Amino acid sequence: MRPMLTLALGAALAATLWAQQFKFNLDHLSSKASDSVDISVNTSMLQFAAKYLGKDPDEARVKKLIVGIEGIYIKSFEFKQDGGYSPADLNRVRNQLKPPEWSRIVGIKSGGESENIEVWVRNERGKVTGVAILASEPRELTVCNLVGNIDLESLSDLGGHFGIPDIPKVKKK
Amino acid sequence: MDWLEQELAIALARKEPAAGFDGRVRARLHRRPRWLAIAATLLVMTGAGEAWRQHQGQLAKEQVMTAMRIAGSKLNRVQMQLKGTEQ
Repeated sequence: MRPMLTLALGAALAATLWAQQFKFNLDHLSSKASDSVDISVNTSMLQFAAKYLGKDPDEARVKKLIVGIEGIYIKSFEFKQDGGYSPADLNRVRNQLKPPEWSRIVGIKSGGESENIEVWVRNERGKVTGVAILASEPRELTVCNLVGNIDLESLSDLGGHFGIPDIPKVKKK
Repeated sequence: MDWLEQELAIALARKEPAAGFDGRVRARLHRRPRWLAIAATLLVMTGAGEAWRQHQGQLAKEQVMTAMRIAGSKLNRVQMQLKGTEQ
């Protein structure tokens, strides 16, 4: 019975890692964090969730967006004090995002360089097959991996929804 | 009376039923058929299964919405920064 259980757990873990495009290695932060979010949604779960999306305008938007997405994996931690995580934690994730598959399309630093957001895109044969978002603040660390053929325009269109003010497009002179 | 009449008289003679016959018949009339119990069980199981499925669906939906909220908010911040830089 025990070998079967071990095998099943191993298979489940392997399936998760296979779907996820890089390892987060951030589990050790859970005990230090005051709040944490751990989301792991695979293809079948996304298809299942899609059946329950649609009545609300935001849900309709998300339903449209998740077509082509094969998995969503997010870990987010909030800490009561600065230094809840180390730069090495973030580097361990960043070091896995290597060319030629991965390329950083945006990297911003603000608030005296205390806030840092990087957006990485995974390309395979000219197609976007994954997106990684690494966001760090002194008391917050978020790592996202969206797997699949992601329409970045639609993804960025999420701005202005969920109660987030929309950003007016800059007119070209 | 010939033998045939005698046989018929014996065969058709009034007989009292065995003790408790009346009670057994009444009990049988009031007993619910077994299939009804099976159908009711199946109905309850199907209902419970559907309720569980609905619950799981709502949980999955909430997970996806939360994931999109988090990813969207981070991208929104990137957009705001980029817009600030452009201006």
